[in-house]
Amino acid sequence: MSIPMTSSFRILAAALAAALIASQASAQDVLVRAAKLVVSPDLVLENGELLVRSGKVAYVGSEIPAEARQRATKREWPTATIAPGAVVAFGWLGQEEALGERATAFTPELRAADGFDGTTEAVRKLPAEGVTAYGLAPSSRNVVAGIGALVKPAGEFARIPADDLFLHLSVVKQARDQERWPTSIMGAADLLRTTFKAAANPVSGDTRLRPFREAMQGQRQVFVHANTLNELTVALDACTQAGIAPVVVGAGDAAKCIDQLKAARARVVLGTASPDAKVAQLELPAKLEAAGIPFAIAGEPSTLRWSAALAVRHGATRRTALSALTRVPAEMLGMQDRIGSLRAGCDADFAVWSGDPVELTSELLAVYVDGEERHVKDAAQAAKEKN
Amino acid sequence: MKAHTIACVLALAAAVAAQDEIHAYKAARIWPAGGSPVEQGVLVVVGGKVAAIGGADTAIPEGAKVHDLGSAVITPGLVDASWQRTGSPEDRNEQSSEVTPHMRAIDAWDPLDPQVVRARKGGVTTLHHTPGNRAVIGGLGVVVKTTPASAPTTLLKDDVSLRITMGAEPSMGNRAIRGGSVDSIYYRRPTTRMGVVWEVRRAFSKAQDYQQRTIAEGSPADPAMEVLVRALQGKVTVITTARAEQDIRTALRLADEFGYKTAIDEGVESHVMAEELAAAGATVMVGAPSADRVSGAGGSDGAEPRWSTLSRLATAGVPFVVTTGGNAAALPLAQEAMFAVRFGLTPELALDAVTLRPARLLGVDDRVGSLAPGKDADFVIWSTDPFDPTAVATAVHVNGTRIQD
Repeated sequence: MSIPMTSSFRILAAALAAALIASQASAQDVLVRAAKLVVSPDLVLENGELLVRSGKVAYVGSEIPAEARQRATKREWPTATIAPGAVVAFGWLGQEEALGERATAFTPELRAADGFDGTTEAVRKLPAEGVTAYGLAPSSRNVVAGIGALVKPAGEFARIPADDLFLHLSVVKQARDQERWPTSIMGAADLLRTTFKAAANPVSGDTRLRPFREAMQGQRQVFVHANTLNELTVALDACTQAGIAPVVVGAGDAAKCIDQLKAARARVVLGTASPDAKVAQLELPAKLEAAGIPFAIAGEPSTLRWSAALAVRHGATRRTALSALTRVPAEMLGMQDRIGSLRAGCDADFAVWSGDPVELTSELLAVYVDGEERHVKDAAQAAKEKN
Repeated sequence: MKAHTIACVLALAAAVAAQDEIHAYKAARIWPAGGSPVEQGVLVVVGGKVAAIGGADTAIPEGAKVHDLGSAVITPGLVDASWQRTGSPEDRNEQSSEVTPHMRAIDAWDPLDPQVVRARKGGVTTLHHTPGNRAVIGGLGVVVKTTPASAPTTLLKDDVSLRITMGAEPSMGNRAIRGGSVDSIYYRRPTTRMGVVWEVRRAFSKAQDYQQRTIAEGSPADPAMEVLVRALQGKVTVITTARAEQDIRTALRLADEFGYKTAIDEGVESHVMAEELAAAGATVMVGAPSADRVSGAGGSDGAEPRWSTLSRLATAGVPFVVTTGGNAAALPLAQEAMFAVRFGLTPELALDAVTLRPARLLGVDDRVGSLAPGKDADFVIWSTDPFDPTAVATAVHVNGTRIQD
């Protein structure tokens, strides 16, 4: 016998379902607490707390509702510092070979995400170095290389939250020493100029120019790999003419053209450094900071903090060094609303350090990506920290 | 190019800053170029430009800072009309095609290259930086000053010349299909001198067609053809690298066939056909006249150098300039001029060959190449006469400003 559903019954059922969902959500809530919470390099909370719900930072500090706080599972590190997970703005995660089309130097519609294997050791190792997000680029072997993606480590595989991010261009040696057009910096410069010019022409129906048009309208970030003064000049000229403020990757000779970089409104992705690097390279971060040019540090994940510490040792501020690993790369990828900081609404990607995240003696205690624990220093030790 | 505009604006700003500055330089001798030297000369510089030049009685404006240089000698800053020493050869040669007239040497320019610093220390203030010789039609040259700048160099004149190369060099590396990767760009003509000439002829024939055809509305211009049309119209200085006698002849024949005028670069064997060159009115650019080896990646190209080349050209009335060219054995430009004097040129002519004449060839003689009122104050102070082997450039000025190296 069927019982006709009355409207009141329907309401009751809906209310029950809602309550169920709410309780489920709150059952998953995690309240994280530490001696220091770096929400962003500009905002550090003492005895900071954040509430993680469904992989996101739901509330920070005093904004956490009392009820949610009570119901949440607690994770506490009384002496540690929680900081946003490191974001690597640019790299290939050891898969450069697969991310460079060999037939032609002009491959604007190829997406790095389509050739990416997310199950490799290099991806799995990211959390252990405090890295929670990675800007995957097509190889720099092509002048117009293709479209970059955002990759996140997620246990045995990688998540790709965005596969249609920045347009990657390259004028480095590698992009012009293949047996195909162009073989010279003159040819590479001509290719960039011609392409931007064609993209500016509304008559052209070439769909391959779409990423260029979007970049010229400010809807897509442009990364351009350039190292020598000559390469930097060519790259900056091409972008400036097209009205684009580029993200310059590499920029080895940046110290020789600070004014040009500034005039081009460029941001810079520096490679990682080691203590035996040339002084000019070690002092570059401080020089860029002094000139007001934002920079990120990218490269081998295990040397990221080394490089940040060296930047501080050679004159950069701690805040800028931390920004270079978090806020700035997130902005370069156009993902600052999700990664690179721990404001409410951001992805719950964070690292727990025994001390200052830029201090080399600090130990990595735990890493969370999208609210899930992806790295724990040592289970027993972690348990002790928890109590 | 925007960044170059910025550089020009910066240079302009510097010039404006120096606007009020008046300097008078007194030297034992001033070679103004394009004329006889002035003994006990005075050079007056106002706001980075030459205001006056003359003997001891030259009026020195009030408020001028007077520099008494004693026994020192002043010449204009030297102009190297065939500079191929900076950047890697790979970057000055686009190898994906034999005909790349729209490639621009400015894109392969590094103003902070140590070789540029070296040239400047040797008294060179203006360079003609060009694409290399590995393509048949290589691309556009640019005239730059050797001012050190963190911004792009002080650009004097962009896209002034078009380089064409005869002989064996452009065909080097090209090969017929046998083995190897079949999609290599190096499987192509030319592999002979005939093939090289065929490429030039085909390119200019196409350009003539292009010039005559009405371009359909909205259809994109062909940048390579645009450059060749400019060459046919005489709007860009054509420079043909030709070392051996047969190649020089071919270069003149092609120019005659298509109605453009060409200068001959390197011109190793120009001395054997000096009268014909004089009749054609072709300027010969002699690279490193002191060198006993011929420049170029293609070996000697069958050309034999003679130390007497310049004096033979002078006797026949061939307009010539002296450059360092692509020769690794080249001496600093001033010493190449000194060498030319040793083998029969007058000092006036030798100096003109590295100052006023190259400036004229490149169409920048309104700005540089000699010390005359209104021109840029680009000059060199030498310890003694520049053709003396012990001479050393003690100070180099560009736009009136002393460059500290």
